[in-house]
Amino acid sequence: MMVTKEEILDIALLAKLSVEEDKLDELTKEMMNIIQFADTINAFDGEVQEFDNINSLSNVFREDEVLPSYPREEILKNVGGGENGYFPVKKRM
Amino acid sequence: MTGQIKTLHEMLVQKQISCTELTHTYLAAIEKDNGKLNAYVKVTPDTALATAKTVDEKIAKGEPIGLLEGIPMTLKDNISTKDIETTCCSKILSGYVPIYDATVWTLLKEQNAVLLGKTNMDEFAMGSSCETSCFGGAANPHNTDHVAGGSSGGVASAVAGNLAVYGLGSDTGGSIRQPAAFCGCVGLKPTYGAVSRYGLIAYASSLDQIGPITTSVEDAAILFDAIAKKDDMDSTSSGAKEPVADRLSAGLEGVKIGVAKEYFDGIKPEIQTALEGAIKVYESLGAQIIPFSLPILKYALPVYYILACAEASSNLGRYDGIRYGYRTDSYNGIHDMICKTRSEGFGAEVKRRILLGTYVLSSGYYDAYYKKAQNLRGNIVSAFQNAFADCDVILAPTVPVTAFEKGFSAKDAVETYLTDICTVPVNIAGLPGISLPCGFDGQGLPIGMQLIGNTFGEAKVLNTAFAYEAAAKDVFKKAQTGVRF
Repeated sequence: MMVTKEEILDIALLAKLSVEEDKLDELTKEMMNIIQFADTINAFDGEVQEFDNINSLSNVFREDEVLPSYPREEILKNVGGGENGYFPVKKRM
Repeated sequence: MTGQIKTLHEMLVQKQISCTELTHTYLAAIEKDNGKLNAYVKVTPDTALATAKTVDEKIAKGEPIGLLEGIPMTLKDNISTKDIETTCCSKILSGYVPIYDATVWTLLKEQNAVLLGKTNMDEFAMGSSCETSCFGGAANPHNTDHVAGGSSGGVASAVAGNLAVYGLGSDTGGSIRQPAAFCGCVGLKPTYGAVSRYGLIAYASSLDQIGPITTSVEDAAILFDAIAKKDDMDSTSSGAKEPVADRLSAGLEGVKIGVAKEYFDGIKPEIQTALEGAIKVYESLGAQIIPFSLPILKYALPVYYILACAEASSNLGRYDGIRYGYRTDSYNGIHDMICKTRSEGFGAEVKRRILLGTYVLSSGYYDAYYKKAQNLRGNIVSAFQNAFADCDVILAPTVPVTAFEKGFSAKDAVETYLTDICTVPVNIAGLPGISLPCGFDGQGLPIGMQLIGNTFGEAKVLNTAFAYEAAAKDVFKKAQTGVRF
């Protein structure tokens, strides 16, 4: 399986990661190596089974229940208290 | 063999030591040795001493205390602790303080467990050496030139180095069992769903499971009973089938132990010898050894890496720098802010796994990789189910090697992934597995033996481990006293 630099850049864009130009060659080589390793599953030529989920779990249903949410000021502590009750980001016009 | 928890509990009840004194002893040990081990990334003396005071007051009033009350312990840094920074050892979560507790911590906190601090780990639990941590790796207390293992390396280093009585780690592809093996500890990965994952920062949700790292099988059983509870906050949680600690028994008459030859392919000769010794011990205890074959195992590693990375690429999509953790300083628009934040905040291994996960889920590759791996997961589950028709537990090495020298993992990603070969099948099939010490290599580094049980078969796994511990006391003793740093 060949992996091109263009593919790595496309995948990085989907994953919202930027790749520095001078690191692209090395990353492509590393990813090629890892993808070749992943590719070994395609050597399996037996009959594959359908798999749904582990331990035959099924959805858990219940009636909706209204419970108190976390206080806004608690949540905003992780962004230095926020601004006017919101998460701040820089203004862009 | 009585573990540390019951011994210390008895000392507290008999007033041979106060909980405050016990806590100070551990805090002093951390102060003295953490510089060498780098096991803790955050120490919480105020929380620990406040809890110790509560326990001492209860004892002074003559109130009964539970087994885990007042016992000093630690949590891996991906287990959420309200008001205590929880970083997953990643720059992207620097400064993040959870506003709620993980269910496992709620359960232990209710029992007045004394939290000494949060322990080191591979960034987002992605690694086998603890060296992808943004704080640098944890050292192995048996030889500090070697790693503690990963990803729960900090917990194993702290427990083996006597900087905590026990700790909780998480295991997605061996992250409890492998560091336990490297450091000469007992590490239990419970059945998927036995323990709630609520508040465990997600890596791969269909594989992640929280479990204990301890110095004895009894301690592991006590902790399993304490944390394996059904939880409404985790729809995949079902709790344990039955309590196990009070029913531990060293009797093995008629127990069938399966040994699959594929687990032994390519392992170090010293590990082979140690495991053959353990098999002889089991035979002498009356267990029946059943050789069998699990050819599907050769696909377990790529299946694991495809599925784990696919789930990780989705789970780690939430880190955008907006609501918590690290955010880049300068950016031009929302897309630029998210890309820069993630690129600066995640380490190299995390980025590799996000990229692989995105690749295998992307259009054109989904069927060849993700879907195929998911279906092969079904084949692996069936192969284990068939095996358990003929045996009670499966015996295998935990890792094909002993603790790596520092720096090994940085050299080649795939070569490091290959060392997870013996641990990942358990996560793929959702089974319980335990690692316990069974010998030492020529350098004095511990060797781990793995016992694997059928779904919710923790009682059989722990009993089989307990029987070995009772018969091989010297190995366990050396695992605890062989520590030198």
